[in-house]
Amino acid sequence: MDLVFWIPATLAVAGALGMVLSKRAVHSALFVALSMINLAVLYLNLSAPFLGMVQIIVYTGAVMMLFLFVLMIVGVDASDSLKETIKGQRLAATLIGGSFVAVISSMLSSTITTLQSDLATETINAGGNVQAIANLIFGRYVLAFEATSALLITAAVGAMVLAHRERAKPKLTQRETSKKRFEDYALAGKHPGPLPATGVYARHNAVDTPALLPDGSIAPNSVPGPMQARGSVRPVDEYDLQEVKDLSKGELVIELDHEGDHESK
Amino acid sequence: MIFLRNPTLDDFGIDPWWLIVIKVLGVFVVLVLLTLFSIWAERRVVAKMQIRVGPNRVGPFGLLQSLMDGIKLALKEDLVPKNAARFVFLIAPVISVTAAFMALAVIPFGPMVSIFGVWTPLQLTDFSVSVLYVLAIASVGIYGLVLAGWASGSTYSLLGGLRSSAQMISYEIAMGLSFVAVFLYAGTMSTSEIVNAQEKLWYAVLLLPSFVIYTTSMVGETNRAPFDLPEAEGELVGGFHTEYSSLKFALFFLAEYVNMVTVSALATTLFLGGWRAPWPFSGIPGANEGWMPLIWFFGKLLAFIFIFIWLRGTLPRLRYDQFMNFGWKTLIPVSLGWIMVVAVARTLIQESVLTNTRTLIILAAPIALLLLLSIVVEMRKKEPEIDELEVEVLANSFPIPPMSAALPKTQTKLAVENVRDSNG
Amino acid sequence: MDLAWPIVGLGLLAFGFGAFSVVISSVTGPKRYNRARLDAYECGIEATPQPMGGGKFPVRYYLTAMLFIIFDIEMVFLYPWAVNYDALGLFGVVEMGLFLITVLVAYAYVWRRGGLEWD
Repeated sequence: MDLVFWIPATLAVAGALGMVLSKRAVHSALFVALSMINLAVLYLNLSAPFLGMVQIIVYTGAVMMLFLFVLMIVGVDASDSLKETIKGQRLAATLIGGSFVAVISSMLSSTITTLQSDLATETINAGGNVQAIANLIFGRYVLAFEATSALLITAAVGAMVLAHRERAKPKLTQRETSKKRFEDYALAGKHPGPLPATGVYARHNAVDTPALLPDGSIAPNSVPGPMQARGSVRPVDEYDLQEVKDLSKGELVIELDHEGDHESK
Repeated sequence: MIFLRNPTLDDFGIDPWWLIVIKVLGVFVVLVLLTLFSIWAERRVVAKMQIRVGPNRVGPFGLLQSLMDGIKLALKEDLVPKNAARFVFLIAPVISVTAAFMALAVIPFGPMVSIFGVWTPLQLTDFSVSVLYVLAIASVGIYGLVLAGWASGSTYSLLGGLRSSAQMISYEIAMGLSFVAVFLYAGTMSTSEIVNAQEKLWYAVLLLPSFVIYTTSMVGETNRAPFDLPEAEGELVGGFHTEYSSLKFALFFLAEYVNMVTVSALATTLFLGGWRAPWPFSGIPGANEGWMPLIWFFGKLLAFIFIFIWLRGTLPRLRYDQFMNFGWKTLIPVSLGWIMVVAVARTLIQESVLTNTRTLIILAAPIALLLLLSIVVEMRKKEPEIDELEVEVLANSFPIPPMSAALPKTQTKLAVENVRDSNG
Repeated sequence: MDLAWPIVGLGLLAFGFGAFSVVISSVTGPKRYNRARLDAYECGIEATPQPMGGGKFPVRYYLTAMLFIIFDIEMVFLYPWAVNYDALGLFGVVEMGLFLITVLVAYAYVWRRGGLEWD
């Protein structure tokens, strides 16, 4: 048996099956990548090294990377519903898929029986595999090659339409934002520095806990505006207030015990 | 002595199995040692640049420091976060490291040598598309980063992974385009034949713009300073390897340094004549024969590593938009333009419409004009106007120095004196 | 295929080394269970977009990946042309020039519409 064929071929089919059967979308994408790499090995095996490398560079490196990006961006997961949304979709898919398999297998069987090895790689690859491909691209298939560039334009336009949002206003540069900040300070007296940090971290969810000023009053800017509007600001504990006051008067001393936890007396 | 010649593609694929084993082990060991060495060198050189000492405790000159760090990492707790996709999380560093090592399989280290009586090229393997093979392996290596970012189950990791891979794919294009001019001149994509084609003149000289574009994009491709945005600690914590600990983290580190070696080796091979001796040494008889070229090859390689370290010690990190703008709006159009210039020039020469010198003049003239124009535009760029820096001095107020340090001294003095006068 | 055996060897060696490291580090390292340590890194509160199970990330990366595919394909066409440049001659240069200009139209369009602005 020709192991150099059977190992990648088996892996490629296994990758394809894994793609269909795995529950997580990212795993499916990985199985496709595995399939692609093994197809590339098969190309190498057929004395088509250029095609093999391009298979990896374009399909594994670029197309599958796009898929992965999209899966990660959208966060598709196993929790997605598997319910049929288009009626009769499964039946149609089975029929069309089945007929596709029938067509492909009949074509393959006729090719295998009729076409013997008159496609000797020595004659085709005479003068080098890459050179042979170049001669084909710039010879017999030159029109198809030029048409590809139109395809690329379509792809660019499509991507722009789908994923690009134009800015209403030009983006402010770092220089402009910093100028604006100090203008606000000069004209309206708005504090130019960062806002005060939120309150106690260890006890509560920090963003909803206001920071306390040294006199025990609440620093209003320390809680984000939307939370204030929603009214989900956590009220300050009487205990905390007393603690701050005692600390400022020197009546309370916090001692660290050897475990690192603090104990107030 | 008939074997002391340049290797051709026919010399590959005929090694006996034990020789393949020796070569594979050799490449692997060389890469691991180079990694350990470059981590140490990086820390020492950067320390020198910052007037520190750097690691000097473990072994002579601290040479064993990286090895000890590796052992230390092995003794650290091996964490798999709760949210992680376990299998992918574990396999991602392995993918990274495997891809990094595999890329070096096609780099020619030297010409034909005799190993235990068998004449063989000092290169693991080579075939007609080996430069493409390096690109293909590099694109598989990106999977390691993306998957590590995703599988960690952490937002910072995912953002870091997406950003690293976006960065690497952006610079991969510029990198790939810079090869085109080399292929055009060499007429082949096999590394050993490209080295042979540079027997008379290095492509770094002949195709200088390609070389500059390649060296720039190779820094971006390896995520090194000043393009080390994936590690922008202030924004992304640790990037894609935030959740990785122990030897899994060490593997990513190893992959990064091996990638650095790979791109440097590729730069040496494609542009600096590979293992061929540089000019004053090339006159020495036997400089390009036998084992001697290893010196030249590793000399050039280490020079690149030093430049990587130098860059890190010198330049601040770019902002993300600056970095992407540079890649997409400068490197790519410039390389496309350069490819067309090279192609047209070569056609003109070959069709013998023009002689070499005339072609050069015709092509160089617009480039020179463009350069001049850009310099003029740069010089005529307006400096920030002084008036916005001027300080309004109120009577009896604290004397405020002008905000710009660029203000001439006399003017500063004058301003201060004015303030004094007004204060009475 | 003889040419590929050294690559397979190197790949297996590197893969083995990586897999060995991943396995061995779970043995050599200490194990001190701590619930907080196994949580994903965060600062203060959980971040809103979660990598798994919903959560939306900037769709801009899609555009980057798509542009990458376009230029990758262009690159792949440039390679055989460059290698066989001498044989293709003037015809090849003209054809490639046409191709490049057409792709540049796409590039110019994306640039003009602000697809190459990053923030």
